[in-house]
Amino acid sequence: MMPNKKSVDGPTQSVRLPHYSLWRSIIAGGTWCLGWAIGLSTSLTPLAAQEVLDRLDDSLFVQSADGTFRLDLSGRLDLEGYSLDGLPPGLIYPTDSFFFNPRFSLFLDAKLGPQLHAFVQSRADRGFDPGLKRSTGDVRLDEYLIRWTPREEGRFNLQAGKFATVVGRWVDRHLSWENPFITAPVPYENVIAVSDKSAPPSIAGMLSRRDVADRKTLWGPLVWGPSYASGLSTFGRIDQFDYAFEVKNASLSSRSSIWDASNHGWSNPTVSGRLGIRPSASWNFGTSLSQGAYMQPIAQSTLPRGTDVGDFLQSTVAVDASFAWRHLQIWSEVFISQFEIPSVGDANTLAYFVEAKYAFSPQFFGALRWNQQYFGDVANGKGQQEPWDRDLWKVDVAAGWRLTRHLQTKLQYSYSHQDSFLQQGENLVAAQITLKF
Amino acid sequence: MRLYGWWLLWVTSNVFGDASIEGSVELPTAKSTAPAVRYHAMPRVAPAPLTVAVVFLEGEFAKTNTPHILKMSQKRFQFEHSILPICVGTRVEFPNEDDDYHNVFSYSKVRRFDLGRYRKDEAPAGMIFDKIGVVRLFCDIHEHMRGAILVLATPHFVVTRPDGSFKLSGLPAGQFKLKVWIDEKTSLEKSVNLRDGETLQVGKLQPVP
Repeated sequence: MMPNKKSVDGPTQSVRLPHYSLWRSIIAGGTWCLGWAIGLSTSLTPLAAQEVLDRLDDSLFVQSADGTFRLDLSGRLDLEGYSLDGLPPGLIYPTDSFFFNPRFSLFLDAKLGPQLHAFVQSRADRGFDPGLKRSTGDVRLDEYLIRWTPREEGRFNLQAGKFATVVGRWVDRHLSWENPFITAPVPYENVIAVSDKSAPPSIAGMLSRRDVADRKTLWGPLVWGPSYASGLSTFGRIDQFDYAFEVKNASLSSRSSIWDASNHGWSNPTVSGRLGIRPSASWNFGTSLSQGAYMQPIAQSTLPRGTDVGDFLQSTVAVDASFAWRHLQIWSEVFISQFEIPSVGDANTLAYFVEAKYAFSPQFFGALRWNQQYFGDVANGKGQQEPWDRDLWKVDVAAGWRLTRHLQTKLQYSYSHQDSFLQQGENLVAAQITLKF
Repeated sequence: MRLYGWWLLWVTSNVFGDASIEGSVELPTAKSTAPAVRYHAMPRVAPAPLTVAVVFLEGEFAKTNTPHILKMSQKRFQFEHSILPICVGTRVEFPNEDDDYHNVFSYSKVRRFDLGRYRKDEAPAGMIFDKIGVVRLFCDIHEHMRGAILVLATPHFVVTRPDGSFKLSGLPAGQFKLKVWIDEKTSLEKSVNLRDGETLQVGKLQPVP
């Protein structure tokens, strides 16, 4: 097969990295967080404000007289600030040393009789990933689904729509109030040198991607955040076992712009599943599998002749485990993913994280996360094997303070190191304030 | 020994008598919260406990030294009571009767605590409530769960039946204030004159916000 020379990858020369002072980043992030925390806590913690939020929290619903039909509205306002000392890591887009990312989310839960449930999550922000649509802003329906639960005990559920993936367990805490951190773990956010929009013209073209900063509009992570792709799923819980299977229109690594079925059809579905066991309330173990084509139709013109985007699959195996006892919670997930890359062959990667959260007091918690990602070797065309991307380790430290049941502040510091001359987002300070109702 | 007997008689007659009050309270429509099951399956959730009112007698009563231990258990993913009235100094335990974890916490000024996650077979430490006021209870895992403890300075209180009716008995004779509490904003106060052996009918009480 002759590779088609057309490629949207473009030139792969190194880009000049901006570098900002670490101390400037920390001071800017800390000051921003402290300022907002003081401002919001003084204005929102007085009893009157709390009562308003409490009443709002308990009043935003309508239901029929017998309770058969019910609509519940809830929401969150997130104000985030990111301070960087270089090119932004993960799925953060702006390259400024500091940028502000507000987000307003509304959730609608609808009970449509005893067996039907609908859910909608809408957001207004500066793009699904921080800063993605910085200048224009964005209003979206991130999730919408309808679920049929024929029996009350939840052994079988069937749902259709656009919703978070069943793979892994991070989805359970990916929203700002539940997540002890501000950013996602490495498997869900570290951009790797696999493009869904263009095939590398050659093995050399693929390997040259290691030497440039992440091209986030062309490449993606192993799992793109909560992966709100569209499809159908069934899930349930039988005693200490739980299961979930889904068929979706896009792969785990697919970007947010194609999750909507109207933007990306059903020609190359991805099938995923998870089996879990809970030997006791303290422990959870699960195994997930996923397989599907990861390239978009736009990549077709860059593929070797006679091949189709549906021929190149992302196959993933994941294992998750979690433990909780009293004020301690620990989670860990390991992913092994294989990308079939035109002109290159199979490119493997392993990514994992271990995350712990401890509540030191009713209102104050701390969290620590260790992340690593390794890349397998591919033949470089000169009789040797080389890793196809930069190995990485990253440590995240966060502290959170729940001022009230409606107001939470978090401060995060992350340090990451890549096995390369190129360092990206070595130091990150992020602060987040969440108002929940 | 004889002195102790006289003291016990005085305390008993001053704290507990044989007067009683009967009536009913107009209860507001229940404002229950529904469980938001979004990302995983959840076993059957019981309906939220019914809205009730607490009726209590306020006045000067001699302190009793009887240690009280009450329970606010979590069962089928709901608190056992929507409101649990207790006398100040009472110890409350929070047993988990579900197979899943619960994490009871409160940010109320009267008592701020977070019990952490504990299982069905674990007994979290009980807690003594030594300040008067309302302690709103929540579960960090199951957001729909709502409960409250009303810490009172009186040993004379009762929770209304679901239809709002109540009988407060074992009361001493004298002039007191009868109070009805539904929430922080909805209450009622009424002066009552109690006589030994008599039941005072107060009719239908309508607390207002």
